[in-house]
Order: sequence, then C-alpha cells, then structure tokens
Amino acid sequence: MHRVGMKGWVVPSIILAGILTRWTIGMGSYSGYASPPMFGDYEAQRHWMEITLHLPISEWYRYDLQYWGLDYPPLTAYVSWLCGAVGSLIEPSWFTLDESRGIETKGSKLFMRATVLAFDYLIYVPALWWFTRTCLAGRSKRTQNFALVTLLFQPALLLIDFGHFQYNSVMLGFAVLAINCFFSGRDTLGAFFYVCSLCFKQMALYYAPAVGMYLIGKCIYLGPSEGTKLLIRLSLVTSLSFLLLFLPFLPPFASLSSILDPITRIFPFNRGIFEDKVANFWCASNVVFKWRLWASRDTLVRLSALLTVLGFLGAAIAPVKAWLRLRSSLSDTISGTPSVMQPVLLYALLNSSLSFFLFSFQVHEKTILLPLLPLSLLLSGAAADSTTFSLGVLCNNIAVFSIWPLLKRDGLVVQYFALLVLWNRMIGYNPLQRPLAMVRMFHPSIVYVACFAVHIAELVIPPPSRYPDIYPVLNVLVSTPVFGLTWLWSIKSIIEARWAVGGLSVSTGGANLQHDGTPAVLTPATEDDGTELSALSLKGMGHHRCLR
Amino acid sequence: MSGVDFPLEVKRGKPDRPTVNRFRPSWLKVELTPSEWDILAFSIAFKILLFPAYHSTDFEVHRNWLAITYSLPVSKWYYDNTSEWTLDYPPFFAYFEKLMSIPACIIDPKIVDLNNLDYDAWSVVVYQRTTVILTELLLGAVVLRFIRGATEPSMQRLISASLFLHPGFIIVDHIHFQYNGFMYGILLASVLCARNDNKLMSGLLFAVLLNFKHIYMYLAPAYFVYLLRTYCMSPTGSLLPTRFLSLANTVVLVFLVSLGPFLYMGQIKQLLSRLFPFMRGLNHAYWAPNAWALMTFLDRVLLQYVKHFGGRWTINSSGIASSSRGLVGDTVFAVLPNVRPIHTFTLTIAMQSIFLFKLWRSPTYKSFLTALTLCGYTSFMFGWHVHEKAVLLVLVPLSLLATESYPHFRTFVIASTAGIVSLFPLLFTPAEQVVEVIYSLMWALFTFVPLHRRLYEFPRTLPTVILNWLELGYLIGFYVITPATMLFPSFIKGKGDEWTFLPLMTTSVYCSLGLVWAYIRLGYLYLTS
Repeated sequence: MHRVGMKGWVVPSIILAGILTRWTIGMGSYSGYASPPMFGDYEAQRHWMEITLHLPISEWYRYDLQYWGLDYPPLTAYVSWLCGAVGSLIEPSWFTLDESRGIETKGSKLFMRATVLAFDYLIYVPALWWFTRTCLAGRSKRTQNFALVTLLFQPALLLIDFGHFQYNSVMLGFAVLAINCFFSGRDTLGAFFYVCSLCFKQMALYYAPAVGMYLIGKCIYLGPSEGTKLLIRLSLVTSLSFLLLFLPFLPPFASLSSILDPITRIFPFNRGIFEDKVANFWCASNVVFKWRLWASRDTLVRLSALLTVLGFLGAAIAPVKAWLRLRSSLSDTISGTPSVMQPVLLYALLNSSLSFFLFSFQVHEKTILLPLLPLSLLLSGAAADSTTFSLGVLCNNIAVFSIWPLLKRDGLVVQYFALLVLWNRMIGYNPLQRPLAMVRMFHPSIVYVACFAVHIAELVIPPPSRYPDIYPVLNVLVSTPVFGLTWLWSIKSIIEARWAVGGLSVSTGGANLQHDGTPAVLTPATEDDGTELSALSLKGMGHHRCLR
Repeated sequence: MSGVDFPLEVKRGKPDRPTVNRFRPSWLKVELTPSEWDILAFSIAFKILLFPAYHSTDFEVHRNWLAITYSLPVSKWYYDNTSEWTLDYPPFFAYFEKLMSIPACIIDPKIVDLNNLDYDAWSVVVYQRTTVILTELLLGAVVLRFIRGATEPSMQRLISASLFLHPGFIIVDHIHFQYNGFMYGILLASVLCARNDNKLMSGLLFAVLLNFKHIYMYLAPAYFVYLLRTYCMSPTGSLLPTRFLSLANTVVLVFLVSLGPFLYMGQIKQLLSRLFPFMRGLNHAYWAPNAWALMTFLDRVLLQYVKHFGGRWTINSSGIASSSRGLVGDTVFAVLPNVRPIHTFTLTIAMQSIFLFKLWRSPTYKSFLTALTLCGYTSFMFGWHVHEKAVLLVLVPLSLLATESYPHFRTFVIASTAGIVSLFPLLFTPAEQVVEVIYSLMWALFTFVPLHRRLYEFPRTLPTVILNWLELGYLIGFYVITPATMLFPSFIKGKGDEWTFLPLMTTSVYCSLGLVWAYIRLGYLYLTS
C-alpha cells in the first residue's frame, strides 16, 4: 500500500487520512436532524453541554429530565462542560440555557463535530497507536501499521461517533489505555484508566468481569506478599479514582443523598427488556417466543442476569486459571506481563462484553461497539488466513449491518456503504474468498448474501401493513446468529488461549494441547469446562463438532 | 476450483497480472492490478462521502441544463432563459446533459422540471454527484492507458494516480460541482493518441472535446501546429494532401455533428452569443492568479502610494472606485494604463507563437506536450477574464511533464502547489476548507515525495542553489499564507466588509507569483532544450 522510500510518512499519512475520513463523515446528517421537538442523540449531547455550563453541579442530574436529562456518569458531564465552555467562547448562542434547544446552525454543527474529532484524537487514536506499538512490539513495522489502519478506520465506530453523533471513542479510548497498561505491567495506572472509562459511560461495565478477574488472577499469581500489596494498591487506586470523579456529588461538596441523583439516572432499571430492535438473544428469540407475555418484568430481569453471568463465566474464570497455570509452570514469577496473557485478556473482554450484549437487560444497538473493540484489537494483529481475521471482519461488517436501521433513520445511507467499501478494501478483505476454518459448513458469503437480500428487499418492497417492522426484524435475525457464533468462538478461543499459557511448560496440562496437531477444544477432562458446556447447551447450539 | 479442466481455461494469466477476458473487445478490457483497484475503491468511497458537502451555483446550473435538455426541443435549448443559468456550453455538452436527463427523470421527475428552480433535494444531489463520479472514470481509464506502454511505467503510475486523484478535481468537480474530470479524460485520451502516433484520432478527440467545452480553445494552436507539421507534412516539409484532407474532413465532420442541427435551424448566431459573452471585465470576481492579478495588485499599491505621498501620476477616478470595491466586476486601473481585450489577445498570441515556432522546428511528442502546456499556460497568464478554475488547463498537461527532469519536476511542484492553493477560495465554508487542505496535503505527500526521490539532482552552480532555496522558501510560505487567509474572516467578524477582499487578494497575489515564475521556468526550459 505504501511505496518504497516513504517509510517515515506512513504513520502521518494514516493519521491524516483518519482525520479526513472522520471529517467527511461529519459533513453528513446526524441523529435527530431537523426532527423537533425531541431531536436525537446529537441534541442530547449538545443539551448536556448547555446545562453543565449554566447550572450548578447539584442540578446537573435533576434539570428537566424529560428533555434529555443527563444519564451518563460524571466524566461525560465534565467533558460536556469543557466543550460548552470552549464553544461559548466562540459563539455564546450555541449554548444559551433553554433558548438554544434544537439549534442547527452550520457553526454549531461544525463545533460539535470538531469536539468529537478532538477527543478522538486526544484519547482513542493515541491509545490505538500505543497498542500497536506495545502489543505488537515483536512484529514488523508493516504489521503494526496495518493494525493501526484496521483499528483507525473501524466502520461501526466511525459511523456512530462521527455520523450518528456520540463520544464512544472516549470510553473505548480509556479502555484501550487500560489494556495497554495491563499489558505493560502498569496495573494500577490501568485500573485508573478503566475507572475513567466507567465514569465516562457506564457501558464499560461490560468489561468489568474480565478486567476484575484478570487483576485478581494477577494478585494470586504474584504470591501472598507481592499479591496482597498489589491488591491493596489496586483497590486504593480504584476507590480513590471513583471518589475523585464523583467528588462534587459527595460531602463536603454536597449532601450525601445527592449521590443518588447520578446513580439513579445512570442505572435505569424501570425500562423494558429491550427497547428498539437489537440483534441480541432476547429480541431475536422474541420473534417466536413472546417473552413479555410469558414472564413478568422481574422474572425477565433475573433471567437475563442469570444468562449473562453464565455467558461470561468463561471470561471470569479463564484469566484466573491462566495466571495459576503460569504460576505453576514458572519457577519464579516475573514482574511484567507475559505475552501469552495478552490474548487471554482480550478474549475475556470479548466474551464478557458480548455476553452482556446478547443476554443482558436494556441493550442498545450501539452497544455492539463494546464487543467490537477487543475483537478488532485481536483482528488487527491476526494473519489474513486465520479464523480470527475472517470472523473478526465478518462480525465487524455485520455489526455495521446491525446498526443499519439507525443509520437509515439518521440519513447516513451513503456513508454506510462508503465506509464498508473503504474499510474492507483497506484491510484487503474479500467476502467471497475465505471460508471460516472454524465451521466448515458455514461460509461468510451466505451472511453477506442475506444482508444484500434484506437491503434489496427493503429498497424494492414496502413493508406489509401487518408487519411494519419486518425489515428491522429481518436485520436482527441475520445479525444475531453471527454475534452468537462470535460469542461461541470467544469461549472456544479463551480456553485455547488458556491452554497455550500452560503450553509454556512441560507440566501437567500442556501435553493435552498439541495431541494431534490441532488444539484440543473443550476437553471435558478439566473440571471448569462444565460451566461453558452448560452455557452452550443453554443456547441450544453447543455441538462439539460445530466448534471444531 | 479443482475438477474438470476445460481446454479454454488452461491458459491463465500470471497471478501478479490482471487476468484478461478474451471474449471482450480490447477497449473494454478491465485490467487492473490490486493497487489500482485500491486507488479506485478509496477514491470512490471518499467521493461518496463528499455527497453532502457544499455545492456552488454550478450545481443548479447543471440541474437547470438537465431540465432544459429534457423538457424543451433542441431548437429552444439556446434560447431558453427561464433560469438565469442559461445553457452556455457547446452542443456536445448539451447532448450529454440530454442523455443524463433520461435516468434523472426516472429517479425523480422534479429534477427535470424547468420551473423547479434551485431544487437541491437529496435525490438530485445523489444523482448529479454520482454522474460526476461515473463520468470521471473515463479519466481513470485514460490515465491507466498511459501506464501501459510508458517508457518508465513506475513513474508514469505515480503521475497517473496523481492525475486521477488530483485535488483540483476534488475541489472543482466533487465539491464545487462541475464535470471537468471526464472532459480532461477526453483531452488526455487525445494526448495519448498523439503519443501512440495515432494523430488522426488525436485530432478527432480534440475536436470532440472542443464541442464539449470551448475553453479548450486555449490549447488549439498547439494542436493545429503539431498536427499540421507531423501529420499533414512529410519530415522534409512537403504537404501530404490526402492526410490533410482526411484530418480536415474529420474535424469538419465532428463540428457538423455538433453544430449541424443549429446550422440547419439558423441558430448559430444565438449559440455563439451564448458561448462567448463579451461583456465581462479583465479579472474575474476573484482574481485568477495570473499576470493581471500581479498588475492589478501593483496598481493598488501604487494608488496607495500616490494617495499618501503624491506623485506625477494622474489618477483615474473610476479606478479608485474599482479598487475600493475590492474584487467586484470590471477592473479599472487607477494609476497604470488600462488593459483592453485586444491587448490581452495580442499578448497571448505573441507569446504563444514563440513556443509554437519552437514546436514547428522540433515536432516530437514531448515537444508537443510542452508546447500544449505552454499554450494553455500563456492563455491563463494573459487571457481576458480568466477563471481560476482554468488553472487545471495548465496543471493537467504539466503533470505529464513532471518526470522529464529535475527542473521540470520543480516547475511542476511550484505550479501545482500554487495552482491548487489558488483553487481554495472556491470553497469558503469551514468544513469543506478542512477537507481541501488535508486532502491536498496528502496528495502532495504521495506525489511529490516519491517523485523527488527518483528525480533529485544535486545543484551544480551557485545560482541554482540560491534559486532552490528561494523556491523552497516560497513553498514554505504557503504554510503561513493558507491558514492565515482561512482564519482571517473569523477575526474580522462583525467589523464591516471592507477587509473581506484582503485574504482573497493575498491568496491570489501569492499564488500568481508562483505561477508566473513556473511559467517563466517552463518557457525557459522549453526554449533552451
């Protein structure tokens, strides 16, 4: 892709191309454009800038909640305040209290788009660059730059952040920073970044099981004295950073009860099991099985919690197991993070976030961005003929497809197609070429044909009056199996990755790995595999052969 | 693909070369290497992302032409003035619009409604922008043909890519809105035919091009001399009547196809009055960066000098009014003697004939290419009411000369930089300005850096060293001028309109310095070669 003799220019030109792409997407429409009285996510973000700028902190989570009340944690509020303050310096009318509602001037749009770009390039892009330079440190510059391209132009995130309008890249950027820190052994700093991510958007909780268990595993791995020290340091840093970020809502700055305002706003448990059409287990199965008729809301909450926990059991157990295995295989512990632990953490993150996406309560279609992050990080360094690559790209493309109804509503149709072509061509992916090595029966082109068919049908045939939602439902039915497959694959891979950790040594577990040249998948000999199996049978798709 | 081997399938292309479908005619062959596919995919994706970008009144101009050609009979095309944007391109372009108006009507009948002025719904935006992208593929196909059979394919590949991705086309065609890409495709096809010694075809294509857009007349003298000398005359200098007649017949035939219907209807006078409106001033609203911009600037400076310190000059009072209005309409000099169309015409012809004389003496392909560039360049430098978009007429053929030698490359760098920056004022909305600046930077990076590495020559004399430093300083100056002129309007917001012309004038004058210098450079290189 890059010519000989231009080595020094590769990264700058990737960075420039990233800015250009993001900016041109931003020229398009956005969520809720010209649709009063409520508008959309764009207006929500702008409204938060307006209220944080003009109201005292105690009012932030209380002011006129019916009109886009603030429902993200305080870091979002602080960032909104900063944007509002800077914007008001340029043009005060963009953010006057109440009067500026639904403002759609060219200047204000330009400013809003610029803030997304600025935070993206302040946090997310440096984090990705650091990732390619630490996690892929042993690889060639070419691979590292290729990974940077793969991550920087990931279409789903670009379309949501720069088209639809949100600041997900800030949350994801903090998460990548945390991952980088864990990989380079700076666990306390990583914990701080993870708290930042959580305090920007509570959705980062999807990563919590993986991150928590990874750190606990590390403490065990380090042994009684070192491990306890790390545990204390971690818990201190975590609670202090939470305290710091929630400080304005705590005594002495506010009464103790005022902390409840943000908390109740952040975790709304009084909504339905799913709102719009989301490509997850509940919405997809709802086609045949009307959950809301069959069970009360409380039952559904419990059921979804149970399924979620079962779903991420692998993510919760595997890191601890892997650290234990590492401890038993090495005579003396090393302070840094061994590179074999990197895939374990990434697979755990993928598994836990995808479990939340598929099974938990109140999921938005945009939340697919959370599982896509670890998946894309894995994909970025993968060889072009590996399952990781083909499944990773498939899942990314289908994720973009799954947000199609949203993008269509936002008027981002041409951007949708342009970005899909751009990204797939950039990473050299041909949907018709590579079958998934994992499942012989399954060829990705079937999925693409299905997507294509849905698009064509939607263009040609108007939805029948009896089923006005037929196309979003079809979309869900095409997307969910792919996400389910990725979830199963994440379970399989996490076990493999954990075995690979043991494979370092000549001790007990390692011998099982390479028995006949293929990794022994789902060996029922070990005790904890039963849980994953139960999760599989729960889903009703858990055939061993399907996973080979 | 195991299984039965059909004898036809045994013969396959090498894996690194594109496979050829033997059943397609040769001109339809799509032979693209993976990297060429990459460029195509990226550029199309990027252009699609530019759909919602700002578009100028030219967008409505072309929409109106769709409506005129669709809803009126041919006899009324050049008479209609429902909209102020009357049809003022030659007939081939009108036929072209007629062709495009048929699918337009199927997509949205309101597009071709003559009275539906200023219609810019999403349907017409998507349709018209898509036609620009699709017709521009002709340019892509032609620059690809330049690579095949070039003496140095790797360098030609760089040049071809740089032409297809030229920021000029992004700014003028894909944001501002025009159809230059496809017409430059025809021009380059004609040049390619000249390279491949197919001169009759070259002449034919140029005649076709003239009937699409008459601005290419600027280049006609070079074509005339070259074809006359190499095609219609033997190397010894004797005329070959059959060849002369065939060429003349070809050109006449093309013009007959184009203008015939209007000749038959007796509308030629009306058509010509639409094509050549002789009522405009020396400079366009925004001074095109040519010799007249420098002269106008000099006049403004002298006027200020005379106003403050007095002097022996007599001041033309209408010139003061003209200068205080900044950039609008007719330019009248306050101090310097006024320029009339006849002056510009004479100067252009005089300068062109110097280069054409050289072409007559050495009628090779390279010489033709240089003379062609210089012909367009001279018209751009000294023409009457030159539009800044006409700079593409210089930049496109000049790109083909960039790999000739290091001095040629430097000329190309200076002219391209100044020429592209001079197009920046076409877009005045901040969002699009960001796009044009970043895109142009990337284009410069991918074009100049690799070419520089291959062509660099160590300067051998002291004047060359000094010149190189001066030129480098000039180029670096763009990094100051461009942000300054773009940010200037936000600093003077609310302080009246009297300074709005300042950034435009600065850009125009600074760019014209570079373009005039590159003109002198190229002329010198040509005449001394």
